[in-house]
Amino acid sequence: MSEFQVESCGCPGSAMMDLRDPDAPTDETPTTKTPSQLRQWPIQLHLVSPQAPYFQGADVLLAADCTAFALGAFHNDYLKGKSLAIACPKLDQGRDVYMEKIKALAEDAKINTLTVLIMQVPCCRGLLALTSEALSQSSRKVPVKAIVVGLQGDILSEEWL
Amino acid sequence: MTMETYLNAAIKDVITEFPEVGTILVEYDVGCVTCQVGTCLLKDVVGIHGLAPEAEQALMARIAKAVAPGAVAGGTDAGTARPAGAEIKAVAPARALDTDKKEFKYSPPLKQLVDEHVLIKRLVALIPQLLEVVDVNAAEDRELLMNGVDFIRSYADRFHHAKEENILFGYFDCSLEIVQAMLADHQTARAHVRQLVEAVETRNGDAIADHLGAYGELLSAHIKKEDEILYPWMDRELTTAEVGELFSRFATVDEAAGPGFTDHYAALVAGIERSVEFRDPRQREVTPQKEEARR
Repeated sequence: MSEFQVESCGCPGSAMMDLRDPDAPTDETPTTKTPSQLRQWPIQLHLVSPQAPYFQGADVLLAADCTAFALGAFHNDYLKGKSLAIACPKLDQGRDVYMEKIKALAEDAKINTLTVLIMQVPCCRGLLALTSEALSQSSRKVPVKAIVVGLQGDILSEEWL
Repeated sequence: MTMETYLNAAIKDVITEFPEVGTILVEYDVGCVTCQVGTCLLKDVVGIHGLAPEAEQALMARIAKAVAPGAVAGGTDAGTARPAGAEIKAVAPARALDTDKKEFKYSPPLKQLVDEHVLIKRLVALIPQLLEVVDVNAAEDRELLMNGVDFIRSYADRFHHAKEENILFGYFDCSLEIVQAMLADHQTARAHVRQLVEAVETRNGDAIADHLGAYGELLSAHIKKEDEILYPWMDRELTTAEVGELFSRFATVDEAAGPGFTDHYAALVAGIERSVEFRDPRQREVTPQKEEARR
Protein backbone atom coordinates (compact mmCIF):
# COMPACT_ATOMS: atom_id res chain seq x y z
CA MET A 1 0.00 0.00 0.00
CA SER A 2 1.41 3.38 -0.89
CA GLU A 3 1.75 6.15 1.57
CA PHE A 4 0.13 9.41 0.73
CA GLN A 5 1.46 12.78 1.74
CA VAL A 6 -1.24 15.21 0.87
CA GLU A 7 -0.55 18.89 1.07
CA SER A 8 -3.45 21.11 1.76
CA CYS A 9 -4.27 22.95 -1.44
CA GLY A 10 -7.26 24.75 -2.84
CA CYS A 11 -7.46 22.58 -5.94
CA PRO A 12 -7.74 18.82 -5.46
CA GLY A 13 -6.46 18.34 -9.00
CA SER A 14 -3.19 20.03 -8.09
CA ALA A 15 -2.81 18.66 -4.56
CA MET A 16 0.59 17.12 -4.03
CA MET A 17 0.69 13.41 -3.36
CA ASP A 18 3.69 11.16 -2.90
CA LEU A 19 2.72 7.82 -4.37
CA ARG A 20 6.07 6.12 -3.85
CA ASP A 21 5.64 2.77 -2.17
CA PRO A 22 8.42 1.94 0.29
CA ASP A 23 7.24 -1.67 0.35
CA ALA A 24 7.45 -2.09 -3.40
CA PRO A 25 9.88 -4.83 -4.48
CA THR A 26 13.26 -3.35 -5.34
CA ASP A 27 14.51 -6.08 -7.64
CA GLU A 28 14.26 -5.12 -11.26
CA THR A 29 12.51 -7.92 -13.08
CA PRO A 30 13.57 -8.14 -16.71
CA THR A 31 10.88 -6.68 -18.91
CA THR A 32 10.14 -7.27 -22.53
CA LYS A 33 9.57 -4.22 -24.69
CA THR A 34 5.90 -3.31 -24.93
CA PRO A 35 5.06 -2.31 -28.49
CA SER A 36 3.24 0.98 -28.94
CA GLN A 37 -0.39 0.75 -30.00
CA LEU A 38 -0.36 4.29 -31.38
CA ARG A 39 -1.36 4.24 -35.03
CA GLN A 40 -1.49 7.92 -35.95
CA TRP A 41 0.11 11.33 -35.53
CA PRO A 42 -0.70 13.98 -34.35
CA ILE A 43 -2.71 13.18 -31.25
CA GLN A 44 -3.40 16.50 -29.50
CA LEU A 45 -7.05 17.46 -29.98
CA HIS A 46 -6.13 20.91 -31.35
CA LEU A 47 -3.91 19.29 -33.96
CA VAL A 48 -5.94 16.29 -35.11
CA SER A 49 -8.18 16.52 -38.11
CA PRO A 50 -11.55 14.75 -38.00
CA GLN A 51 -11.10 14.25 -41.74
CA ALA A 52 -8.04 12.05 -41.21
CA PRO A 53 -8.57 8.54 -42.58
CA TYR A 54 -7.82 6.88 -39.27
CA PHE A 55 -10.83 8.57 -37.67
CA GLN A 56 -13.36 7.43 -40.27
CA GLY A 57 -15.74 4.95 -38.63
CA ALA A 58 -13.18 4.42 -35.87
CA ASP A 59 -13.43 3.61 -32.20
CA VAL A 60 -11.92 6.77 -30.74
CA LEU A 61 -10.20 7.26 -27.41
CA LEU A 62 -10.34 10.79 -26.03
CA ALA A 63 -7.84 10.67 -23.20
CA ALA A 64 -7.07 13.31 -20.61
CA ASP A 65 -3.34 14.01 -20.80
CA CYS A 66 -2.50 12.50 -17.42
CA THR A 67 -4.22 9.16 -17.97
CA ALA A 68 -1.46 7.71 -20.12
CA PHE A 69 1.00 8.23 -17.26
CA ALA A 70 -1.29 6.96 -14.52
CA LEU A 71 -2.30 3.77 -16.30
CA GLY A 72 0.35 1.10 -16.39
CA ALA A 73 -1.26 -0.68 -19.31
CA PHE A 74 -2.50 2.31 -21.28
CA HIS A 75 -1.36 1.04 -24.67
CA ASN A 76 -2.56 -2.54 -24.49
CA ASP A 77 -5.72 -2.10 -22.46
CA TYR A 78 -7.10 1.22 -23.70
CA LEU A 79 -5.35 2.45 -26.85
CA LYS A 80 -5.18 -0.82 -28.78
CA GLY A 81 -7.49 -0.76 -31.79
CA LYS A 82 -8.50 2.86 -31.28
CA SER A 83 -7.68 6.22 -32.79
CA LEU A 84 -6.56 8.79 -30.28
CA ALA A 85 -7.04 12.41 -29.26
CA ILE A 86 -5.65 13.87 -26.05
CA ALA A 87 -6.59 17.01 -24.18
CA CYS A 88 -6.45 18.67 -20.78
CA PRO A 89 -9.74 20.25 -19.78
CA LYS A 90 -8.03 22.35 -17.15
CA LEU A 91 -5.04 23.85 -18.91
CA ASP A 92 -5.89 23.82 -22.62
CA GLN A 93 -7.27 26.89 -24.34
CA GLY A 94 -9.93 26.90 -27.03
CA ARG A 95 -12.85 25.00 -25.57
CA ASP A 96 -15.00 25.99 -28.57
CA VAL A 97 -12.50 24.42 -30.95
CA TYR A 98 -12.61 21.20 -28.95
CA MET A 99 -16.41 21.20 -29.13
CA GLU A 100 -16.33 21.56 -32.90
CA LYS A 101 -13.71 18.83 -33.25
CA ILE A 102 -15.74 16.34 -31.21
CA LYS A 103 -18.91 17.26 -33.11
CA ALA A 104 -17.07 16.77 -36.40
CA LEU A 105 -15.79 13.37 -35.25
CA ALA A 106 -19.39 12.28 -34.73
CA GLU A 107 -20.95 13.89 -37.80
CA ASP A 108 -18.21 13.86 -40.43
CA ALA A 109 -15.89 11.04 -39.42
CA LYS A 110 -18.91 9.01 -38.31
CA ILE A 111 -16.91 7.41 -35.56
CA ASN A 112 -18.18 4.10 -34.18
CA THR A 113 -17.71 4.82 -30.46
CA LEU A 114 -16.06 7.41 -28.24
CA THR A 115 -14.30 6.35 -25.05
CA VAL A 116 -13.51 9.26 -22.73
CA LEU A 117 -10.70 8.41 -20.35
CA ILE A 118 -10.30 10.85 -17.47
CA MET A 119 -8.56 11.11 -14.11
CA GLN A 120 -10.52 11.10 -10.87
CA VAL A 121 -9.65 14.74 -10.10
CA PRO A 122 -12.71 17.02 -10.35
CA CYS A 123 -11.32 19.24 -13.11
CA CYS A 124 -11.05 16.22 -15.40
CA ARG A 125 -14.84 15.90 -15.39
CA GLY A 126 -14.74 18.93 -17.64
CA LEU A 127 -13.61 16.76 -20.54
CA LEU A 128 -16.64 14.54 -20.08
CA ALA A 129 -18.96 17.52 -19.80
CA LEU A 130 -17.45 19.08 -22.91
CA THR A 131 -17.89 15.82 -24.82
CA SER A 132 -21.51 15.43 -23.72
CA GLU A 133 -22.28 19.01 -24.71
CA ALA A 134 -20.63 18.63 -28.12
CA LEU A 135 -22.47 15.39 -28.86
CA SER A 136 -25.79 16.81 -27.70
CA GLN A 137 -25.38 19.36 -30.50
CA SER A 138 -24.45 16.70 -33.03
CA SER A 139 -26.99 15.44 -35.54
CA ARG A 140 -25.51 11.97 -35.22
CA LYS A 141 -25.53 10.03 -31.96
CA VAL A 142 -22.49 8.03 -30.87
CA PRO A 143 -22.17 5.60 -27.94
CA VAL A 144 -19.92 7.16 -25.29
CA LYS A 145 -18.11 5.24 -22.59
CA ALA A 146 -16.62 7.05 -19.60
CA ILE A 147 -13.68 5.56 -17.74
CA VAL A 148 -12.35 7.20 -14.59
CA VAL A 149 -8.78 6.45 -13.57
CA GLY A 150 -7.55 6.72 -9.99
CA LEU A 151 -4.32 8.50 -9.12
CA GLN A 152 -2.52 5.18 -8.78
CA GLY A 153 -3.74 3.82 -12.07
CA ASP A 154 -6.71 1.87 -10.79
CA ILE A 155 -10.01 2.00 -12.67
CA LEU A 156 -12.62 3.65 -10.47
CA SER A 157 -15.53 3.36 -12.86
CA GLU A 158 -16.25 2.30 -16.40
CA GLU A 159 -19.71 2.80 -17.83
CA TRP A 160 -21.64 3.64 -20.96
CA LEU A 161 -23.41 6.98 -20.81
CA MET B 1 -24.13 -38.68 -9.37
CA THR B 2 -21.52 -36.03 -8.54
CA MET B 3 -21.97 -32.29 -8.20
CA GLU B 4 -20.12 -31.96 -11.51
CA THR B 5 -22.83 -34.03 -13.19
CA TYR B 6 -25.56 -31.74 -11.90
CA LEU B 7 -23.63 -28.61 -12.90
CA ASN B 8 -23.72 -29.92 -16.47
CA ALA B 9 -27.41 -30.87 -16.33
CA ALA B 10 -30.37 -28.81 -17.60
CA ILE B 11 -31.78 -26.49 -14.94
CA LYS B 12 -35.31 -27.85 -15.38
CA ASP B 13 -34.16 -31.44 -14.83
CA VAL B 14 -32.21 -30.51 -11.70
CA ILE B 15 -35.17 -28.61 -10.22
CA THR B 16 -37.56 -31.44 -11.09
CA GLU B 17 -35.33 -33.87 -9.21
CA PHE B 18 -34.45 -31.45 -6.40
CA PRO B 19 -37.17 -28.77 -5.96
CA GLU B 20 -35.11 -27.22 -3.16
CA VAL B 21 -32.60 -26.04 -5.78
CA GLY B 22 -35.35 -23.89 -7.31
CA THR B 23 -36.08 -22.33 -3.92
CA ILE B 24 -32.38 -21.60 -3.36
CA LEU B 25 -31.98 -20.00 -6.80
CA VAL B 26 -35.03 -17.77 -6.24
CA GLU B 27 -33.48 -16.56 -2.97
CA TYR B 28 -30.48 -15.37 -4.99
CA ASP B 29 -32.76 -13.67 -7.53
CA VAL B 30 -31.90 -16.18 -10.25
CA GLY B 31 -35.11 -15.93 -12.24
CA CYS B 32 -34.46 -18.91 -14.52
CA VAL B 33 -36.48 -21.14 -12.19
CA THR B 34 -39.72 -20.32 -13.99
CA CYS B 35 -38.25 -20.63 -17.49
CA GLN B 36 -40.52 -22.80 -19.62
CA VAL B 37 -37.63 -24.06 -21.74
CA GLY B 38 -35.22 -24.79 -18.90
CA THR B 39 -32.49 -26.37 -20.99
CA CYS B 40 -29.70 -24.04 -19.78
CA LEU B 41 -27.10 -25.91 -17.78
CA LEU B 42 -27.08 -25.30 -14.02
CA LYS B 43 -23.48 -24.00 -14.16
CA ASP B 44 -24.40 -21.50 -16.91
CA VAL B 45 -27.52 -20.36 -15.06
CA VAL B 46 -25.39 -19.49 -12.03
CA GLY B 47 -22.48 -18.09 -14.02
CA ILE B 48 -24.54 -15.81 -16.23
CA HIS B 49 -26.04 -13.89 -13.30
CA GLY B 50 -22.71 -12.31 -12.39
CA LEU B 51 -23.09 -12.75 -8.62
CA ALA B 52 -20.29 -11.60 -6.35
CA PRO B 53 -17.74 -14.43 -6.00
CA GLU B 54 -18.59 -14.95 -2.32
CA ALA B 55 -22.32 -15.07 -3.02
CA GLU B 56 -21.77 -17.48 -5.90
CA GLN B 57 -19.69 -19.77 -3.71
CA ALA B 58 -22.31 -19.73 -0.97
CA LEU B 59 -25.04 -20.44 -3.53
CA MET B 60 -23.08 -23.33 -5.00
CA ALA B 61 -22.48 -24.71 -1.50
CA ARG B 62 -26.20 -24.74 -0.78
CA ILE B 63 -26.98 -26.37 -4.12
CA ALA B 64 -24.29 -28.96 -3.48
CA LYS B 65 -25.81 -29.71 -0.11
CA ALA B 66 -29.21 -30.12 -1.73
CA VAL B 67 -28.22 -32.35 -4.64
CA ALA B 68 -25.21 -34.24 -3.39
CA PRO B 69 -24.62 -34.02 0.35
CA GLY B 70 -20.92 -34.36 1.09
CA ALA B 71 -19.93 -33.41 -2.47
CA VAL B 72 -17.39 -30.75 -3.35
CA ALA B 73 -18.91 -27.30 -3.82
CA GLY B 74 -17.19 -25.19 -6.43
CA GLY B 75 -17.76 -22.05 -8.41
CA THR B 76 -19.06 -22.11 -11.94
CA ASP B 77 -15.51 -22.48 -13.14
CA ALA B 78 -14.45 -26.08 -12.68
CA GLY B 79 -11.03 -24.85 -11.62
CA THR B 80 -12.39 -23.12 -8.54
CA ALA B 81 -13.64 -26.26 -6.78
CA ARG B 82 -12.69 -26.14 -3.15
CA PRO B 83 -11.58 -29.11 -1.04
CA ALA B 84 -14.37 -31.15 0.48
CA GLY B 85 -15.24 -29.99 3.97
CA ALA B 86 -13.67 -26.57 3.52
CA GLU B 87 -15.47 -23.86 5.43
CA ILE B 88 -17.81 -21.84 3.28
CA LYS B 89 -18.45 -18.34 4.46
CA ALA B 90 -22.14 -17.53 4.61
CA VAL B 91 -23.10 -14.67 2.37
CA ALA B 92 -26.55 -13.17 2.24
CA PRO B 93 -28.42 -13.78 -0.98
CA ALA B 94 -28.76 -10.98 -3.51
CA ARG B 95 -32.27 -10.10 -2.40
CA ALA B 96 -31.13 -9.56 1.16
CA LEU B 97 -28.23 -7.42 -0.01
CA ASP B 98 -30.28 -5.34 -2.42
CA THR B 99 -33.68 -4.83 -0.96
CA ASP B 100 -34.50 -2.18 -3.52
CA LYS B 101 -35.08 -2.93 -7.16
CA LYS B 102 -31.81 -3.59 -8.94
CA GLU B 103 -30.67 -0.87 -11.28
CA PHE B 104 -28.91 -1.99 -14.41
CA LYS B 105 -26.63 0.16 -16.54
CA TYR B 106 -26.84 -0.85 -20.17
CA SER B 107 -24.79 0.08 -23.20
CA PRO B 108 -26.68 2.47 -25.54
CA PRO B 109 -27.95 -0.21 -27.99
CA LEU B 110 -29.15 -2.53 -25.24
CA LYS B 111 -30.70 0.45 -23.44
CA GLN B 112 -32.72 1.01 -26.63
CA LEU B 113 -34.08 -2.53 -26.41
CA VAL B 114 -34.92 -2.04 -22.74
CA ASP B 115 -36.74 1.20 -23.63
CA GLU B 116 -38.71 -0.68 -26.30
CA HIS B 117 -39.68 -3.20 -23.62
CA VAL B 118 -41.33 -0.37 -21.68
CA LEU B 119 -43.92 0.14 -24.42
CA ILE B 120 -44.44 -3.61 -24.83
CA LYS B 121 -44.94 -3.96 -21.07
CA ARG B 122 -47.62 -1.26 -21.20
CA LEU B 123 -49.63 -3.40 -23.60
CA VAL B 124 -48.95 -6.62 -21.68
CA ALA B 125 -50.15 -4.94 -18.47
CA LEU B 126 -53.50 -4.21 -20.14
CA ILE B 127 -54.23 -7.82 -21.04
CA PRO B 128 -56.01 -9.00 -17.84
CA GLN B 129 -58.27 -5.94 -17.84
CA LEU B 130 -58.80 -6.19 -21.59
CA LEU B 131 -59.95 -9.80 -21.25
CA GLU B 132 -62.45 -8.76 -18.60
CA VAL B 133 -64.13 -6.03 -20.62
CA VAL B 134 -63.97 -7.23 -24.20
CA ASP B 135 -67.13 -8.59 -25.87
CA VAL B 136 -66.11 -10.80 -28.76
CA ASN B 137 -69.47 -10.34 -30.44
CA ALA B 138 -69.03 -6.58 -30.66
CA ALA B 139 -67.24 -5.42 -33.82
CA GLU B 140 -65.71 -2.52 -31.92
CA ASP B 141 -64.15 -4.88 -29.37
CA ARG B 142 -62.81 -7.21 -32.03
CA GLU B 143 -61.17 -4.17 -33.62
CA LEU B 144 -59.66 -3.31 -30.25
CA LEU B 145 -58.18 -6.80 -30.03
CA MET B 146 -56.84 -6.58 -33.57
CA ASN B 147 -55.21 -3.23 -32.72
CA GLY B 148 -53.39 -5.11 -29.98
CA VAL B 149 -52.40 -7.79 -32.49
CA ASP B 150 -51.13 -5.09 -34.84
CA PHE B 151 -48.92 -3.72 -32.05
CA ILE B 152 -47.66 -7.18 -31.11
CA ARG B 153 -46.85 -8.18 -34.68
CA SER B 154 -45.53 -4.89 -36.01
CA TYR B 155 -43.78 -3.35 -33.02
CA ALA B 156 -43.01 -6.16 -30.55
CA ASP B 157 -42.15 -8.77 -33.16
CA ARG B 158 -41.15 -7.38 -36.58
CA PHE B 159 -39.43 -4.34 -35.08
CA HIS B 160 -38.14 -5.33 -31.62
CA HIS B 161 -37.69 -9.11 -31.78
CA ALA B 162 -36.24 -8.77 -35.28
CA LYS B 163 -33.50 -6.48 -33.88
CA GLU B 164 -32.60 -9.28 -31.49
CA GLU B 165 -32.85 -12.17 -33.93
CA ASN B 166 -31.33 -10.53 -37.01
CA ILE B 167 -28.69 -8.37 -35.32
CA LEU B 168 -28.00 -8.78 -31.59
CA PHE B 169 -27.97 -12.57 -31.29
CA GLY B 170 -25.56 -12.71 -34.25
CA TYR B 171 -22.82 -11.44 -31.94
CA PHE B 172 -23.15 -14.53 -29.77
CA ASP B 173 -23.04 -18.25 -30.20
CA CYS B 174 -26.65 -18.94 -31.17
CA SER B 175 -26.36 -22.50 -29.92
CA LEU B 176 -26.07 -21.14 -26.36
CA GLU B 177 -28.96 -22.39 -24.29
CA ILE B 178 -29.96 -18.92 -23.11
CA VAL B 179 -30.19 -17.63 -26.68
CA GLN B 180 -32.10 -20.74 -27.70
CA ALA B 181 -34.50 -20.14 -24.79
CA MET B 182 -35.17 -16.59 -25.98
CA LEU B 183 -35.74 -17.76 -29.56
CA ALA B 184 -38.11 -20.45 -28.31
CA ASP B 185 -40.07 -17.76 -26.41
CA HIS B 186 -40.38 -15.73 -29.62
CA GLN B 187 -41.72 -18.77 -31.49
CA THR B 188 -44.19 -19.62 -28.73
CA ALA B 189 -45.36 -15.99 -28.66
CA ARG B 190 -45.94 -16.05 -32.44
CA ALA B 191 -47.95 -19.26 -32.15
CA HIS B 192 -50.16 -17.69 -29.46
CA VAL B 193 -50.76 -14.64 -31.64
CA ARG B 194 -51.69 -16.80 -34.66
CA GLN B 195 -54.19 -18.69 -32.53
CA LEU B 196 -55.46 -15.44 -31.02
CA VAL B 197 -56.24 -14.07 -34.48
CA GLU B 198 -58.09 -17.27 -35.39
CA ALA B 199 -60.04 -17.02 -32.14
CA VAL B 200 -61.01 -13.41 -32.85
CA GLU B 201 -62.13 -14.36 -36.36
CA THR B 202 -64.24 -17.26 -35.04
CA ARG B 203 -65.43 -15.20 -32.05
CA ASN B 204 -64.18 -17.84 -29.64
CA GLY B 205 -63.95 -16.00 -26.31
CA ASP B 206 -62.34 -18.87 -24.40
CA ALA B 207 -59.55 -19.28 -26.94
CA ILE B 208 -58.97 -15.52 -26.94
CA ALA B 209 -58.58 -15.60 -23.16
CA ASP B 210 -56.28 -18.64 -23.33
CA HIS B 211 -53.92 -17.33 -25.99
CA LEU B 212 -53.85 -13.63 -25.11
CA GLY B 213 -53.44 -14.54 -21.43
CA ALA B 214 -50.65 -16.98 -22.20
CA TYR B 215 -48.95 -14.40 -24.45
CA GLY B 216 -49.04 -11.84 -21.63
CA GLU B 217 -47.54 -14.24 -19.09
CA LEU B 218 -44.87 -15.39 -21.53
CA LEU B 219 -43.82 -11.86 -22.51
CA SER B 220 -43.71 -10.63 -18.89
CA ALA B 221 -41.30 -13.40 -17.92
CA HIS B 222 -39.37 -13.07 -21.21
CA ILE B 223 -38.79 -9.34 -20.80
CA LYS B 224 -37.73 -9.77 -17.17
CA LYS B 225 -35.17 -12.41 -18.21
CA GLU B 226 -33.81 -10.15 -20.94
CA ASP B 227 -33.67 -6.98 -18.83
CA GLU B 228 -32.17 -8.60 -15.76
CA ILE B 229 -30.10 -11.50 -17.06
CA LEU B 230 -29.53 -11.67 -20.79
CA TYR B 231 -28.75 -8.04 -21.60
CA PRO B 232 -26.44 -7.42 -18.60
CA TRP B 233 -24.56 -10.60 -19.52
CA MET B 234 -24.37 -9.56 -23.18
CA ASP B 235 -23.06 -6.14 -22.16
CA ARG B 236 -20.27 -7.84 -20.23
CA GLU B 237 -19.36 -9.89 -23.31
CA LEU B 238 -19.60 -7.26 -26.07
CA THR B 239 -16.48 -5.32 -27.04
CA THR B 240 -16.56 -1.54 -27.36
CA ALA B 241 -16.39 -1.83 -31.16
CA GLU B 242 -19.31 -4.29 -31.18
CA VAL B 243 -21.42 -1.92 -29.07
CA GLY B 244 -20.78 0.81 -31.66
CA GLU B 245 -21.72 -1.53 -34.52
CA LEU B 246 -24.92 -2.59 -32.79
CA PHE B 247 -25.85 1.03 -32.19
CA SER B 248 -25.40 1.86 -35.89
CA ARG B 249 -27.28 -1.22 -37.07
CA PHE B 250 -30.20 -0.52 -34.74
CA ALA B 251 -30.24 3.09 -36.00
CA THR B 252 -30.56 1.75 -39.56
CA VAL B 253 -33.57 -0.35 -38.51
CA ASP B 254 -35.13 2.68 -36.81
CA GLU B 255 -34.60 4.80 -39.93
CA ALA B 256 -36.14 2.11 -42.13
CA ALA B 257 -39.18 1.92 -39.83
CA GLY B 258 -39.68 5.67 -40.30
CA PRO B 259 -39.60 8.67 -37.99
CA GLY B 260 -43.17 8.28 -36.76
CA PHE B 261 -43.10 4.52 -36.24
CA THR B 262 -42.61 4.40 -32.48
CA ASP B 263 -44.90 7.40 -31.90
CA HIS B 264 -47.62 5.67 -33.93
CA TYR B 265 -47.47 2.53 -31.79
CA ALA B 266 -47.18 4.50 -28.56
CA ALA B 267 -50.38 6.30 -29.57
CA LEU B 268 -52.00 2.96 -30.39
CA VAL B 269 -51.19 1.59 -26.92
CA ALA B 270 -52.45 4.80 -25.34
CA GLY B 271 -55.68 4.37 -27.32
CA ILE B 272 -56.13 0.81 -26.05
CA GLU B 273 -55.45 2.02 -22.51
CA ARG B 274 -58.19 4.63 -22.85
CA SER B 275 -60.64 2.12 -24.35
CA VAL B 276 -60.02 -0.41 -21.61
CA GLU B 277 -60.42 2.20 -18.92
CA PHE B 278 -63.65 3.42 -20.50
CA ARG B 279 -65.12 -0.09 -20.80
CA ASP B 280 -64.06 -1.31 -17.39
CA PRO B 281 -67.28 -1.61 -15.33
CA ARG B 282 -65.30 -0.57 -12.26
CA GLN B 283 -64.54 2.72 -14.00
CA ARG B 284 -68.21 3.15 -15.01
CA GLU B 285 -69.60 2.23 -11.63
CA VAL B 286 -71.64 5.07 -10.19
CA THR B 287 -70.69 5.75 -6.61
CA PRO B 288 -71.96 8.50 -4.30
CA GLN B 289 -68.49 10.03 -4.49
CA LYS B 290 -68.60 10.13 -8.30
CA GLU B 291 -72.11 11.52 -8.22
CA GLU B 292 -70.94 14.22 -5.84
CA ALA B 293 -68.00 15.00 -8.11
CA ARG B 294 -70.30 15.16 -11.12
CA ARG B 295 -72.52 17.73 -9.38
